[in-house]
Amino acid sequence: MANRRQTRNQIRGPHSALTDFLASNNISAVQIREDYRRRLEETEHQATSEEPSGTTENGENEDSIDESLGQRKKRKRKETASLAKVKQSKEFAHRKSRRIGEPENDDNLNTREMMYQRSRPKPGQLDNCEVCGKRFTVTPYSKTGPSGGLLCAKCSRSLDDDGKRPNAKKRGPRIGRRQNQSNLLDGISQQGALSLAEMCTKKVADNINDIEEFGDLPTPLLHRLSQILSKRRAMTPRTLNLFLRPDLDSINIYDSAKLETGDFQKIFTFMPTLTDVNLRFAGQMKNEVVEYLLRRDLRLRHLQLDAANLVSDSHWRLLFEKLGPQLETLKLSNLDFSLDDETIETMCRNCTNLRRLKLKQCWKVGHGSLQAFSSLTLLEHLSLDLVRETENDNILEVISTVGPRLYTLSLEGFPNADNCLLETIHDKCRFLSKLRLSGNIVCTDEGFAKLFTEWENPPLEYVDFSSTRDVDSLNPDGPGDAIGLASDGLIALMDHSGPAIRKLNISSCRHVSRAAFEEIFSESKVYPNLKELDVSFHTVMDDYLVGRILQCCPIIKKLVAFACFNVRDVRIPVGVALIGGLKAQDTVVVEGKF
Amino acid sequence: MASSATESEFVTLVSGDGFEFVIPRSAACVSGTIRRMLEPSSKFAEALTGRCTLENISGIVLEKVCEYFCYNEKNKNQSNVPDMEIPAELCLELLMAADYLDT
Repeated sequence: MANRRQTRNQIRGPHSALTDFLASNNISAVQIREDYRRRLEETEHQATSEEPSGTTENGENEDSIDESLGQRKKRKRKETASLAKVKQSKEFAHRKSRRIGEPENDDNLNTREMMYQRSRPKPGQLDNCEVCGKRFTVTPYSKTGPSGGLLCAKCSRSLDDDGKRPNAKKRGPRIGRRQNQSNLLDGISQQGALSLAEMCTKKVADNINDIEEFGDLPTPLLHRLSQILSKRRAMTPRTLNLFLRPDLDSINIYDSAKLETGDFQKIFTFMPTLTDVNLRFAGQMKNEVVEYLLRRDLRLRHLQLDAANLVSDSHWRLLFEKLGPQLETLKLSNLDFSLDDETIETMCRNCTNLRRLKLKQCWKVGHGSLQAFSSLTLLEHLSLDLVRETENDNILEVISTVGPRLYTLSLEGFPNADNCLLETIHDKCRFLSKLRLSGNIVCTDEGFAKLFTEWENPPLEYVDFSSTRDVDSLNPDGPGDAIGLASDGLIALMDHSGPAIRKLNISSCRHVSRAAFEEIFSESKVYPNLKELDVSFHTVMDDYLVGRILQCCPIIKKLVAFACFNVRDVRIPVGVALIGGLKAQDTVVVEGKF
Repeated sequence: MASSATESEFVTLVSGDGFEFVIPRSAACVSGTIRRMLEPSSKFAEALTGRCTLENISGIVLEKVCEYFCYNEKNKNQSNVPDMEIPAELCLELLMAADYLDT
């Protein structure tokens, strides 16, 4: 206390940051310095006198050399006093009870031992290791050595080593389960090892910076490498060079965010035979690049660009005017700055051979564009995900004109299209294998049921009617006549497409009853091709129904069931991924089928 | 002798530089290419002798491939399979070999 007051009154010189930090942790720099000096002196003293003096073990004898008689008396008195104190303490009683079996139960010895043990350094202080003799900082984790002294971190560890081994092994499965869950979310429930090619591809991706060139790696492997590198965001200008091979006619870069004008131009310079270009996240693609591309006179047939927002409308038009007639596939996504209705009209006028058109999240595409689509007479695949609201009539017109040849029809962002759309699809489409209408809040269950009754279209393979429902906080139970795909619609859908269906997404279709599910997945029904099923947010789903689904779909690989709170302890066969279970443990794979 | 080789439990894989690896037939047939070579109905020389010469694969790479075959056999039908160790300098060659062997 006195010491502290003193320091407070002192005028202090400049302190180092370390000193301040140490002081804040109740460690005195002065103390350390003095300790150090004392240690130095001690060692010097030892060296000169050649007289070994154990510091820790026989501290009692050590002091006695230059002790006067009076001092010794005083010390003796002190010791007896503290011995008495120790004797009264709780720990002493505890120790005593432990030692009761031992012969010569000498209380005094016991107390003495405890007292000297107490004087052992506290955490934060320095001590010499009992085994190796090195000086180290005592921590709460410092272990006690064989004869009672403390051990340094290294010796503590080696002391542990024998005992700890099995413990370390225990951690293995926990990490595995985490990895398992991660794989399950990706829909991977594969048993056994990865293929050698996949393993090597990953290894190559790990060491991408050491690789000079890929040699003549075949295209599918290059594609896979590009996917892995893009996912890791490792597609840099340097990495890109590895993919530029004049003998190939396609390039797929899923993350072009790090590529700049020069890099894009390099692609078109080094690969003169390109027909298939797929550049995603091409945020740094500028008008210059488009100009360069057009000058190169490439025979592009498939073009997919994502997020190319630095390309202006005028250059989009140039592009369509020049490349239009040869383009068979055009996929544009995430364009919020350009690509307005007028540009789309130019596109439709010029791209007369377009077979596949996909426009996702293009903010400026509106009903003017929809009117223009009708002129694309060769279209086979149409995917639209609009941001702007459009008139119902426009999409009806598109479906009426291009519908009869369509294999794929995917409509997102048409919340207000009504049953007329379903009727038009029913009347016009004859070759559809993929149908998506999601996020619609008007089409009724009756409309869906009608669509699938006596439809001349062959059974569908991919169906997505997710989130077709009415959401109204004033009417939480939903309208009387179900809006969106509900019981009747789903039954009609499975009657029509059951034999061929491969992928079905009916998440958030809130009005499907349990009876309907029971009928669809009853004993006699089999869906031989269904691999992926999403029934998220169907609260009627329970263990029994999931069991029925697993039985009716012999090759199902992926069952998504988020927010199905009644799915609790379902037995999942090997090779099936149940995603979105309540607890991670629930998806533990059970051997064998039932 | 030829007919007995088709039945034998082990097959011999020979690398381009002459190293021979004798491994279980079931393990080797993980590779689509080798499986088709050894298909008894094909009457290929490989199928008759149980000996596949892989001219374009070096001994070092083939050794690793054989290691994979055994690793794959060992981890069949198990979840959480640890990845096999692949030396970085070998991975591109091994990838080419894996592509050729259809594994």
